Amino acid sequence: MKRTVFMIALLIILTSVTVIFAQGQVAVETTPTGPVTIDFWTTETQSDRMATIQVLIDTFSALNPDITVNLVPVDENDLVVQAQTAYATKSLPALFEAPAETAVSFGTQGISDIATTTKLIEKIGKDRFYSGPLKVLETTGKGSYYALPYHGWIQGIWYRSDWFEAAGLEPPTTWDNILKAAKYFYKPEQNQYGILVGTLPEAYTEQCFTPIAMSNGAALFDASKHLVFNSPKMKEAIEFYAELAKYNPPGPQTWRARDYYMQGKMAMFFYSTYIMDDLALQEAAMGSLTGDNFKDLVGADFNPDLVNNTGVASIVTNTSSAGYGTVVALGLFKQDDPAKTAAAQKFLEYLFTPNAYITFLHMAPGGMNPMLKEIATNTRFQNDPTGTFKRYGKEKMAEIINGLENIETFSIVGGNRIEAASEITAKQILPQMLYKVTQENMNVTDAMAWAEAEMKKLIK
Amino acid sequence: MRKSNNRQAQQNQQMFVVSNLSTRSLREQRFGWALVFPSVFVILALILYPVIYNIYLSFFEFKLTGGNIFVGLKNYIGVLTDSEFLVALRFTLMYVVFSTAGTTLLGLGVALVMNKKFFLRGLVRSLILLPYVAPVISVVFSWQFIFDPVNGIFMDIFHEKLGLFAERFSLIGSPQTAIWVAILFGIWKNFPFTYLMILSRLQAIDETLYEAAEVDGANGWQKFKSITLPELYFVISALVLLRVIWNFNKFEEVYLLTSNVKVLSVYTYLKAFTGTMNLGQGATLAVLQFVILVGFILFYVKKVLKW
Repeated sequence: MKRTVFMIALLIILTSVTVIFAQGQVAVETTPTGPVTIDFWTTETQSDRMATIQVLIDTFSALNPDITVNLVPVDENDLVVQAQTAYATKSLPALFEAPAETAVSFGTQGISDIATTTKLIEKIGKDRFYSGPLKVLETTGKGSYYALPYHGWIQGIWYRSDWFEAAGLEPPTTWDNILKAAKYFYKPEQNQYGILVGTLPEAYTEQCFTPIAMSNGAALFDASKHLVFNSPKMKEAIEFYAELAKYNPPGPQTWRARDYYMQGKMAMFFYSTYIMDDLALQEAAMGSLTGDNFKDLVGADFNPDLVNNTGVASIVTNTSSAGYGTVVALGLFKQDDPAKTAAAQKFLEYLFTPNAYITFLHMAPGGMNPMLKEIATNTRFQNDPTGTFKRYGKEKMAEIINGLENIETFSIVGGNRIEAASEITAKQILPQMLYKVTQENMNVTDAMAWAEAEMKKLIK
Repeated sequence: MRKSNNRQAQQNQQMFVVSNLSTRSLREQRFGWALVFPSVFVILALILYPVIYNIYLSFFEFKLTGGNIFVGLKNYIGVLTDSEFLVALRFTLMYVVFSTAGTTLLGLGVALVMNKKFFLRGLVRSLILLPYVAPVISVVFSWQFIFDPVNGIFMDIFHEKLGLFAERFSLIGSPQTAIWVAILFGIWKNFPFTYLMILSRLQAIDETLYEAAEVDGANGWQKFKSITLPELYFVISALVLLRVIWNFNKFEEVYLLTSNVKVLSVYTYLKAFTGTMNLGQGATLAVLQFVILVGFILFYVKKVLKW
């Protein structure tokens, strides 16, 4: 009796051990023709956007029943951490969506599949892409690419043009004009604030800071790839940024505070062209939430003229002029199983077909702009469901899309890509430094010394 | 001759019994080991291995892409000479002391009240559990909205209506004030557990003790001091111990609510996984946290619980 129980116990242990060890081999044995499942990390974490992408995936699965694509939302600020841990546990997804700087950082760490990506870009046709965004994703040894540019946005200072006009102020295009207006409209006793610049240690903070630094000629690296961060020009830019932050709403801030602008409590804010459809939604929401339907509704009034009373300055000027934008890319992580790479490649090709592409971009008209020239002029693309193109006019939209050709970032100096700069962006060193200066009252010299030391850790 | 043969046989038999006994007990011993092996294996793999691996990591400069470099005590020296570590330690002690004291006192007070009979007592008793059972993330969002400097109700009441503060400010924004919001949140969120445990012990106190005290002419305070409190001593000290352990390691409540109050667990996370990602120092911080906590537990168990 006892012997039988003992044997059974032993058998259970042995089988479980065998199963554990056997699992490692199963993956290798999969044939490329069988059913395959791949993960797709997206940074479009809002539920409505995920629903749209899911529709695209479902359509793709109907055409390719052997391929299953799992959509996994990952917050933009968590991408690097998630990728590092997934790498350590050998569970990197086949496909990811990421800002170009992050995609480059993945590439330089050797976890991206550069060969397949380059092949894919050549297959789609290099000439069909806008050259600027492609350059952002090119490897230092030219001709290879870290990821495929998929959509992009440019940033500007969005401001209350009616307030500016009434006060007789110039549009916020230069350092002087920005500061003057921020001071003028900062009336905390009336719960009204001058400007919104990011002060939390997050990506948004760096996005606000970059055009300020670049318009003062401050850079992270020179053309020969030497770290030149700790310069008087950079110090000036940081001091100016800290000065602007004084006219922020109270406390550390990030992009969410743009709601204060919607409520008429703020004069200016840095934001991407994504705000265009938010403003449009504001109008749509107003249509249903009128006083007739909700007589007792109190709170901030909807301002029907907000869209028309909003101006945008997309270039900041001081000693030079600078615009800022971000290319969002689709990339491939290296996989042990070639079937997964093949499936991911197939799905990517599908995403670049006009119908799928336009459906994707229409999730955020204005915010998501095409990277293929022919899509920009496609009439179906220009006829977006929220009517953003109609409201802003085709010319303004073309200007925005063309702006992507001239995106300036810390990581391209004199036409050369500097990987270390992307690494610095991905690790959010500048936002952490700006947080120390604006929220922890660290003096600028010390904060810069701290940031420089952190940067050197990455470069060594 | 026959006699000696008999003795021989007897001896043989005895030896057989002994040897049979020893093989049997040996077999049973093996069987016993086989039975406990799965659980020992699971404990070793899931509990001991991560702890030991973490201690191992703390002596290395860890690279996720492989190739760890042994650095001896460098991580420990780096952490202990880092002023931010001392700040984190101070914040953690503040958080642990005040939130533990707060949850215990509030839990005790509410339990005493809930032990008295009143109308709808059952309903009130279960409603009090609400903060404890509500998901952290949802209550965190409502707390953040309450303390929003521009639209929040806190500033509306205390600045706009009552004029207690001269200007609007972000209570959750500055680490100096945010720590107090985190403590308040911790007390509010966790006191129901303390209350529940104390209440169940209160209900088990023998009524005759109070009756005897009343016969001796004891007043309410004397009854509380001489009967209730001694009866509750062990449950309260066990609760304090658990709360200290939990709050010392508390991450999600503090990080989600404030994100800039760097208590040790949050500081460890930031050090290990953000910015330039120093996993070696992260592991070192975790080891130090472990050592501090174990030291406290040993002291507490000996001196307070008197085991």
